[in-house]
Amino acid sequence: MNNTELTWVLLAVALAQTLAARILWRRARLYHRPIAAYRVLPEQAADAVESSNRIHFSLGSSALGASSSLSALAAAEVVYRLSERLAVSRQTPLVTLSQPLTLPLAQDTLRRAYEFRQNMAHYRSSAAAWYPQGARSLSFAAGAASLAADADVHSSVLLGRFGVEMALLGESALRHDQGLIAHSDLPEGQAVAFVQADEALLGEELYVAAAYLNGSPLERGGVVALDVLRWLVILGIIVAAVQAAV
Amino acid sequence: MATNSGAQRHRLLNFLATVIVISSGLVTLIGLLSDDGSTAADTARFLIQLVTVIAAVAVLAGLVNLVAVHLGRFVRAERGWPYSVLVLVVALVVGVLRILDRAEVWSGDLEGEQISVRVFESVQVSLESALAALLVFFLVFAAYRLMRDRVTVWNALFSLTVIVVLVGWVPFEDMDVLRDVRDWVVRVPASAGMRGLLIGVGLGTLTVGVRVLIGQDRSFRD
Repeated sequence: MNNTELTWVLLAVALAQTLAARILWRRARLYHRPIAAYRVLPEQAADAVESSNRIHFSLGSSALGASSSLSALAAAEVVYRLSERLAVSRQTPLVTLSQPLTLPLAQDTLRRAYEFRQNMAHYRSSAAAWYPQGARSLSFAAGAASLAADADVHSSVLLGRFGVEMALLGESALRHDQGLIAHSDLPEGQAVAFVQADEALLGEELYVAAAYLNGSPLERGGVVALDVLRWLVILGIIVAAVQAAV
Repeated sequence: MATNSGAQRHRLLNFLATVIVISSGLVTLIGLLSDDGSTAADTARFLIQLVTVIAAVAVLAGLVNLVAVHLGRFVRAERGWPYSVLVLVVALVVGVLRILDRAEVWSGDLEGEQISVRVFESVQVSLESALAALLVFFLVFAAYRLMRDRVTVWNALFSLTVIVVLVGWVPFEDMDVLRDVRDWVVRVPASAGMRGLLIGVGLGTLTVGVRVLIGQDRSFRD
């Protein structure tokens, strides 16, 4: 099987499982393993509203139109789900990012959340801030960390594509007693997230955010599809290893 | 009546956006998986080029956003406003220098020089290198904090691995065992873990991709 055929097969399996799980969801409650970060995130949003503080979301260098497009979309979904809850407050969440193409996505995500809550009076497009990315993304991290430090931030939620520059953002968040939830689709950033964050999202956990934060049956079906695909890959690896050994 | 027509227009726009996203996504996917030179591949390439052009224009939007954010902080005298003034002044100076470079106004020793590039390299690159050097301390301190806050098997394993790998890099004699352990850690468990994470990310993007392709992603709908 070549790469093209494999891609079609994986897409077909993912689609079939998503739709099958959506139908099953109506008849039986499907089990989703608990993910600590998704339990903590709504609590942090509620605390931020009560204490009239902001939440800092950072999408890092996730970029629409690049290999991190879907990370950007998945991270934007988390921003939307939490901003919906935060939009009752006067304090607009802060969103920082380093890819200019993601800027309209971030602004639009916040706008939709405020429109949903019919609180457009408190929406500001400048709540999404772009910082240029230097050679190692560190200038972005320095700028975003300094902005978050000055903005009465309750928690920092770093989702999407980050390298080791996440350590700078994380250190600043911890130094200012902010909660920290972190994820990266790069192994370097993921390692930093594991060490620094109060709760880290690992690997594919970001992509099921919609299902865990009041998701629709179809989004919950996506979690089942992901689990099925994961087990298929595990089986594939085991079979290949046994074949190689025999 | 006006509300009804507004809602209808809204629904129509959502429908159009969904149709455009699904068809563009499918055409690009089919094109990327087709042979080079086919119509589908050419169409996909055209769509990707469109994104590249939009990305170039988006940098301008980013610049406007940067100025708006920092000008706003300065005008409202928010905490840290002096840094915002610094950002604005530096952005203006570098912009002016770039224009002067392009106009080739420099003479004497500076003739033919790209001052904006020189400023960038001497300030930006040096600062980023200094920050990069600090990262290792942040990470070691984070590992210490991890053990202080909650001692679990995984945290202990992480800290032990950090110590072994760091000590394994020390160029002392009679440390062959530690060096071997370090090499094994990097080659086997670290590499396997990294691949596992990347496979997970790949599968995750696949499921999100399916959601986008069947028009269930919220980012392009109101």
